[in-house]
Amino acid sequence: MTTQVMAQRELQIRCEDDIVLVRQAVRVMAQQLGFDAFATAAVTTAASELARNVWTHAGGGSALLEEIRLAGRRGVRMHFRDQGPGIADLGRALAGGFSTARSLGLGLSGSKRLVDEFNVESTVGKGTVVVVAKWARFSSTTG
Amino acid sequence: MAVDYMSLLKLDERELAQRRAFFEITDEDLARVAKLRDFAARHGDAIVDDLYQLILGHADSRAFFADETMVRRVKSMQKQYFLGLFAGNCDLRYVQDRLRVGASHERIGLEPKWYLGAYGRYLRLLLDRLFTDFPAAEAQAAFRSLSKLVAFDTALAMDTYIAANLDTVARHQAAIRELSTPVIRVYDRVLLLPLVGTVDTHRAQQIMETLLLRTVEDQAKAIIVDIAGVPVVDTKVADHLLKTTAAVRMLGAVTIITGISAQVARTMVQLGVDLSSIETRARLADGIELALAKVGRVIAVKA
Repeated sequence: MTTQVMAQRELQIRCEDDIVLVRQAVRVMAQQLGFDAFATAAVTTAASELARNVWTHAGGGSALLEEIRLAGRRGVRMHFRDQGPGIADLGRALAGGFSTARSLGLGLSGSKRLVDEFNVESTVGKGTVVVVAKWARFSSTTG
Repeated sequence: MAVDYMSLLKLDERELAQRRAFFEITDEDLARVAKLRDFAARHGDAIVDDLYQLILGHADSRAFFADETMVRRVKSMQKQYFLGLFAGNCDLRYVQDRLRVGASHERIGLEPKWYLGAYGRYLRLLLDRLFTDFPAAEAQAAFRSLSKLVAFDTALAMDTYIAANLDTVARHQAAIRELSTPVIRVYDRVLLLPLVGTVDTHRAQQIMETLLLRTVEDQAKAIIVDIAGVPVVDTKVADHLLKTTAAVRMLGAVTIITGISAQVARTMVQLGVDLSSIETRARLADGIELALAKVGRVIAVKA
């Protein structure tokens, strides 16, 4: 059984206001897929964190949002891509409390706890791709 | 204040050269249209009249022109514009003149569809008259040259529309930001800041500064920040709240965050954000009670 992509939408992250557009799109998607209030807040917040990382650390990039389905379950998958400096010490960034941008340093590690699937690939000098997925807690009966 | 579209659109010699190259406007084209000046003078009034028959013939486009005086004025401007097409110049002065046209349309709120529709008629009117007055080959060459200039002008007009709209949006955003940090004095030495909407970097700074100034001015002891209207509380917002609280504490006041929903509480814990250094309450009412206690007051049931 492979994950099916039902719909997708790509948004550019070029300024701080674009972060708002990304998370609004994610919130609408989550609500349409029947996410409950907690899951919606979690996936929207994760989108906000990851989109902000793209803007803060790379100065811009893109967010690809997908509605996915696997064995009757529905979910949201998000790909955040940038061509920024990359993450030199991924282990440290994922441990939390470490920041190169004078912030709380919980964006990446915190997002990981907010979603069900989390994958990050980063090459120093090339850029970073973070792919996360969150599933609706109860499968929709309407199919 | 008039918007400087030349600098807004970065229209300098380099940009002009690039545009001219892309629109394929050669010196030959300019020389060719310059030779049509007599033709333009001959037909100018009739073409402009015909154009306004279209515009005034539709109620929606006619609505932009209040009375006869205004119609006469815009017709005379239109005539100048028309003759300008045959000036045989495509320099920065020409561009500046063309930008005025787009800007004046934008100012009266004439949407691009009317502009583009009218421009279509312009081209057809020119085409018909060129082929009446000149042999086919000559008319075709003239029309080719003119159509390049018309496309060039249209691009400038569209750019002006877009730039003017972006300018309006930016001014609205600035106005909204001005209004977005209303600090309310709910009781002697108790302040309330209801936050609604997105807390971006700019706004966070403004919130911090406004709160600090008001804390000093009002000698406040307790400041309630209600975040019920903030759609997403992420680590950035939390970071701002923590920093603001720390700064307010230096002034001898406490910050109480209220309006925390169940979802926000759960998300904050999952993110690993430690808000334990801040007093928090779910409801604004509880926050007000706590704030009053800080200034030695209680809400009591009337005996």
